[in-house]
Amino acid sequence: MESLTEASLQAIYLLATGDRALWAIIGISFSVSLRAILIATPFALVIAFLLTYQKFPGRRLLIALFNTALSIPAVVVGLTLYMVLSRAGPLGDLKLLFTQNAMIIGQIILCFPILVAMGHSALQAGDRRVFETAITLGAKPWRAMFTVIHEARFGLTAALVAGFGRIIAEVGSSMMVGGNILNHTRNIPTAIALETSRGFFAQGIALGIVLLLLALTLNLLLASIQGKGEIKA
Amino acid sequence: MTPWLRVKATCFSRNKREILKNISVEFSEGELILLTGHNGSGKTTLLRIIAGLLKPDQGLFELNGGPWSNWRFIRNSLRQNTCYLHQQPYLFDCSVFNNVAYGLRRQGVGQQEITSRVTAALEAASLDHLQRRHSRELSGGEQQRVAMVRAWVLTPRLMLLDEPVANMDKQARRLCLSLINQLYKDKVSVILTSHDPQQGELQLTRHLHLYQGSMEPKPIDTLDKRDT
Repeated sequence: MESLTEASLQAIYLLATGDRALWAIIGISFSVSLRAILIATPFALVIAFLLTYQKFPGRRLLIALFNTALSIPAVVVGLTLYMVLSRAGPLGDLKLLFTQNAMIIGQIILCFPILVAMGHSALQAGDRRVFETAITLGAKPWRAMFTVIHEARFGLTAALVAGFGRIIAEVGSSMMVGGNILNHTRNIPTAIALETSRGFFAQGIALGIVLLLLALTLNLLLASIQGKGEIKA
Repeated sequence: MTPWLRVKATCFSRNKREILKNISVEFSEGELILLTGHNGSGKTTLLRIIAGLLKPDQGLFELNGGPWSNWRFIRNSLRQNTCYLHQQPYLFDCSVFNNVAYGLRRQGVGQQEITSRVTAALEAASLDHLQRRHSRELSGGEQQRVAMVRAWVLTPRLMLLDEPVANMDKQARRLCLSLINQLYKDKVSVILTSHDPQQGELQLTRHLHLYQGSMEPKPIDTLDKRDT
């Protein structure tokens, strides 16, 4: 087994020299997770808005369900989705299993409750006068919703970062429905799991460094956005 | 003068408490009305109903050739004709200029016209020096006046001001009341609420008083007496 220092140095070398296989994995990871978060976000924000501003039967139950869904393990999502998408499953005909689309569906399911629950908290913590002010100034309800979202953007950005952080690093769902196929569905977490099991720690550490750098970048971005919010407030 | 809006037999209750009881009131063009009443007498609720922000339990509205009982239609008509300002108005997280321009943008007004109308309105209210300032950097009095200009620029038929001078110092109060007089002179009808009937600086045309959810019209000369 390589020593940790040796493996880390080799990892940095792989990253610095632009190792094609390594960067392909990073590319797949970002492409899949970005698409998942982009698809999930608009729907999640609308639901978070409705949960905050509309009164309808079952609203509290829905909030409780979304909060519960925050703790669903990725592997359970993967298993369920595997059964649904497998040839014998109800959506087997779509032939989505072991494709990036299946990974995207899994990641949407994983980040959706985070976006809704944290989005709902952010909107609830916001000022209720925003919506009424927008309405009384002639905005249509959907336009007033955008104004509310804009005013709560600091809290909502945190929800977005948390959601993205969850899916870019999840291994259970991607492994089960993606199949960890090289240059196709192998992303950072599944590659780390594979390389570690094969004893190739350098590539695993290199990918781990990318994930850590990503987490750091996202948090710095969030801190800078929230910092601006504090100055204005 | 023919009233353009009649609110008839309006009731509103919340948590089994009657807040408004059988309220009937009418509004004509170019009125400056003071609505007084104790805390919890239903002043804000009535304003919010007239602004189309709150649905009454029952009531009939006459406007634009009505009488109407379809709330959706009434709500939209009320929203098109009125502008409601909260007791502490909310200014959006952007510059004063963009705050005042918000409603005009929603109406689809062109950028050039927005610039000229916003600038003119801010100048008329002696707020043009704040145009580029961020809304969160303003004092309470300045925020209140910017919010009024933001509504005024949309030329609503009726402006509903909820306790516009509450918790203001003398100077801010004077500036704010002078802006309300200016709105009135500009033919905008204004209803403002207060728990204090002493609004000597205003050129009031009518005084309404809410007592435990019921309307009591009062002659203007009673404003000199502290009777709330």
